[in-house]
Amino acid sequence: MAAYLSMGEAHRRIGDYLSRVTNAISYSDGAALASLLSVSSAPASTPLSDALAAFPDFPRLAGDRFPHLADFLVPLLRAIHSHSIQRFADAYSSFEKASNAFLQEFRNWETPWAMEAMHTVALEIRLIAEKADRELATNGKNPDKLQAAGSFLMKVFGTLAVKGPKRIGALYVSCQLFKIYFRLGTVNLCRSVIRSIETARNFDFEDFPVKDKVTYMYYTGRLEVFNENFLVADQKLTYALMHCNPQSQSNLRRILKFLIPVKLSIGVLPKRTLLERYNLLEYADVVTALKRGDLRLLRQALDKHEDQFLKSGVYLVLEKLELKVYQRLVKKIHIIQRQKEPAKAHQIKLDVVVRALKWLEIDMDVDEVECIMACLIYKNLIKGYFAHKSKVLVLSKQDPFPKLNGKPV
Amino acid sequence: MDRRGEASHRGQSSYRGRGWRGRGRGGGRPSPSPPSSTASPAALNPTPTPAVPVDDAAPIMGTCPDMCPARERVQRERLRDLAVLERVGGDPTRTSPSLAVKKFCRTISSTNVLPSDIRPLPVLQETMDYLLHLLDSSEHPFETIHDFIFDRTRSIRQDLSMQNMVNDQAVQIYEDVVTFHIRSHQRLSTSCQDSDASSLCYLNMEQLTKCLLSLYDMYHVLHKRDSHSKKEAEYYSFYVLLHLGCKIHKMIDSLSLWYGQLASPVRRSKEMIFARTLLRCYRLGNFKRFFCMVAAEATDLQLRLVEPFLNEVRARALMYFNHSGYKLQHHPLEHLSGILMIEESELESLCGICGLEISKSEGMKAFVPKQTSFTLPTFMPQSNGIYISREVER
Repeated sequence: MAAYLSMGEAHRRIGDYLSRVTNAISYSDGAALASLLSVSSAPASTPLSDALAAFPDFPRLAGDRFPHLADFLVPLLRAIHSHSIQRFADAYSSFEKASNAFLQEFRNWETPWAMEAMHTVALEIRLIAEKADRELATNGKNPDKLQAAGSFLMKVFGTLAVKGPKRIGALYVSCQLFKIYFRLGTVNLCRSVIRSIETARNFDFEDFPVKDKVTYMYYTGRLEVFNENFLVADQKLTYALMHCNPQSQSNLRRILKFLIPVKLSIGVLPKRTLLERYNLLEYADVVTALKRGDLRLLRQALDKHEDQFLKSGVYLVLEKLELKVYQRLVKKIHIIQRQKEPAKAHQIKLDVVVRALKWLEIDMDVDEVECIMACLIYKNLIKGYFAHKSKVLVLSKQDPFPKLNGKPV
Repeated sequence: MDRRGEASHRGQSSYRGRGWRGRGRGGGRPSPSPPSSTASPAALNPTPTPAVPVDDAAPIMGTCPDMCPARERVQRERLRDLAVLERVGGDPTRTSPSLAVKKFCRTISSTNVLPSDIRPLPVLQETMDYLLHLLDSSEHPFETIHDFIFDRTRSIRQDLSMQNMVNDQAVQIYEDVVTFHIRSHQRLSTSCQDSDASSLCYLNMEQLTKCLLSLYDMYHVLHKRDSHSKKEAEYYSFYVLLHLGCKIHKMIDSLSLWYGQLASPVRRSKEMIFARTLLRCYRLGNFKRFFCMVAAEATDLQLRLVEPFLNEVRARALMYFNHSGYKLQHHPLEHLSGILMIEESELESLCGICGLEISKSEGMKAFVPKQTSFTLPTFMPQSNGIYISREVER
């Protein structure tokens, strides 16, 4: 441990690290530089962190040896040290300083050779900020580091999202920003980022790296779910699903968690095996309810998983499925009537619907059923009309239950 | 808090950190710390610490003992800038400490604000009580009173934010301001129907939305200190109910997202379940249940909030019934007026505005479905709220 480390050895290790960083910069070796900047994934004790603990005068060492990079190297060493002794708020502050200095340098480099390192900085600053915020919250202080990381990343985004060779790295940074905004619940801040990505004429979206495109489509798809734009949500989430690494079960699951409700709302039901394979059984009862026309089951399912559905933001999407469940129920009644008395099958007494609902322990009177039928017909879930006086729903003889064909309810 | 209007001169532009930091900095008065969600104890009980340089000083602490600072009173007397409600014996040059209330100042410069210009919490509370009491007076036209309170409550909010106050009392004042806007919302939409009133309605709605969002931010801060307002659940439910009037575009977050951020006790509260169920009935077209619920379960303020939207809901119901009904069977208005809880004569005029022709069938007024002349009106007639006829009551 640190206590047994001689000053000379500590001095040598720090010097070694610093030369590796500066060498990576002078040889434009982005990968090597990136690996040297992964502060947050390091174990609590590394040869370097032990050396920093044993040699408190490390800032001067860095400043003396590499004065031109002191703004970057000194806070970087401080961040590594603070992180290793689990002082995350301090680590964050130092890392932010180092990151700002690095961004300055990065702006001056004409080629994007350091993109990998820039991305590592972007990832690290978010991860360290999350740790810092947890620490601050535990100590009863204001957890504002993640928000600060967002401000920094916005600067990085501004540097990258311009015409030129560096633009290819912009999507990765926007995904880091989305992660922050979703975590903080400030998703309306995503808008300006999206605008900047999607309105660019001089850069084809398809040219971005696949993994960034998948993440981007996942987050923007979720935003469309919030705004109840199901068609666009379907496109984006389907894109994410199709391009996602098929080995990555957890990512596929995350995409499906939002894609399934979207698909349900446009009339596409998943197989049970899919729900089982990705452990998304919270949707199983909803799907069964849609198949059976079982309103009670739908309401029970929504009730049972209410917290979960509300938290993820799909609750209202699922709640709206109630109309489709009514449609299914009417269809079932129609099928039964057709077997019994084919000539009158297309006339459904509202009272029969009331009794079917009562059987499901759903208490609704004829007036309510009439309102619902009016709505189903208006929304083209049922073709036909209702006769108010005779309290009968008259179904069209042709295609009385039109398919949604991709249109949301 | 008032995200747009007053953000420039308050230290805390947002408690939860929506938007970027530093909005407050441009305004001249430095914020005590980054807009903090916890509003550190220092910000709550600002105790001047002389050792700290002026720029980092605690928020200003008001010392003004009256509803209106003496210096403003004198100035407005001189400029004959007194509202009708502030004049002594109708004299436009004379007011008194018990009548004058500090005006909202849009372009306040924080550098020359004196503590004597700012009212401390107890005075702000008194001022709010005084203003709310005016709401019940019948001495002046409602528009005059509304206009006065509208402006003066903004200045109350301004004083609160300049002193960085987030605590139970400040929350209570905000709740009162929201109450005022909801009551105005209802009164304005019934009292007159001309375009002046509709712009008043619009401005009122704008402030209502702003106040609500600020109030939620304050609730959020209080939660962190394990403090809760008793009225919280009801006030949260207003956000949901505003979606009935299609005021969504003015809201910042979508409802889906908003639900996700609510604390579970609030979500499961009686008031919130009412609002959520009501919105569901509206979206599913179950108008019968919708109106029954409004009549049976709405609190006084919830009712006042939704009342101006009710005719929009009714027009939508007419649209469904007209579209889906059978051409050869008349739909008696009596039936619809029961479901939509509106007097038959009122329903008749609503039908007229929607372009539906009314005919007589077996001695009863009725409309024939499938009229192609139907259009959703862009401007709604005033709503007299919920009407329960004898028959339905029985």
